[in-house]
Amino acid sequence: MDNIGVKSGDVTLLEVLDRVLDKGVIIAGDIVISVADVDLIYLGLKVLLSSVETMERLRGAPFPSPMQEAT
Amino acid sequence: MQMAEKQLVYLYCVTEEEPKLREVECLVDSLYSVHHKGLYGVTGDVEDSEFGEENLKRNLVDLEWVRAKATTHEKVIEGIMKDTCVIPFKFGTLFNTNDGLKAMLEVYGEEFKTILGELKNKQEWGVKIYCDIQRLKSGIADRQPEILEVENEIKSASVGKAYFLKKKKAELMEQAVNKKINQYGRESFALLKDLSSAARINKLLPKEVTEKEDDMILNSAFLVDSDSVLDFVGLANSLKTQYEDAGFSVDCTGPWPPYNFCGLPKARGRNG
Repeated sequence: MDNIGVKSGDVTLLEVLDRVLDKGVIIAGDIVISVADVDLIYLGLKVLLSSVETMERLRGAPFPSPMQEAT
Repeated sequence: MQMAEKQLVYLYCVTEEEPKLREVECLVDSLYSVHHKGLYGVTGDVEDSEFGEENLKRNLVDLEWVRAKATTHEKVIEGIMKDTCVIPFKFGTLFNTNDGLKAMLEVYGEEFKTILGELKNKQEWGVKIYCDIQRLKSGIADRQPEILEVENEIKSASVGKAYFLKKKKAELMEQAVNKKINQYGRESFALLKDLSSAARINKLLPKEVTEKEDDMILNSAFLVDSDSVLDFVGLANSLKTQYEDAGFSVDCTGPWPPYNFCGLPKARGRNG
């Protein structure tokens, strides 16, 4: 059987960037990491990356508009 | 007199039932809950030298720091989530004092209760689909009549004409690849959405972040009724095997704290 749905012990960099740092309720702290601050993380990441267009690609839409869900 | 190190209050999540902290206490130096009008904030004290506004910005560039702290954030929330419904907060939500946190709970309390009510008996699951473009291409090349036709033309064409035909072939190939990716992404998303009470499409992430060879073609999150989780995972499994040979792979993970499904009805900033 596939081990689909099972999460490994460590949270991957992917999930860190995709969930923990990008989502969740983002209001009303005295300090909260803003969208601009998250770019700092990508800046840190970019040190490890060779790709210059990463930032651009990250901002890109995943699919042409019909695929986007408003809900 | 020596000043004590300034502390900040770090908020992990909000619950309606009293959170059981015992299992996750070991993950951080300080963990406690702050109760205010029927809601609990799961919080811990952190040092200003690490999480203060300027220091935080400096640390955010340090990927290993981010990874370690974000993992702790996630683990604390996952631990609390085992026993009760949570509203996960974004990494790095900080208050100067517990009173600041209580003031926030005062302002948003009713909305949080509504959201927690909606999240009851539901789980967030993530589905990411990747594509081995080369493998997809080789599958397409054998089957598309237009592409086969151009290939034949190339064989008998002059050098100059062959150049343009090759360009045409590459274009046809790209169109066919995009069509397949869109079709598969769209179909999979629609099927998974049918088994969910809510669904989101998120931005695609590059290979440097995914740490995978294949390209991400769909990044989606679903809010699934606890009763439907088996069906949902079963569907993800069947999608996984169905198109494996064409070069698609499906990653289904969960249950996650409902990061994608705890938005306030009206987006209100602290200045708003």
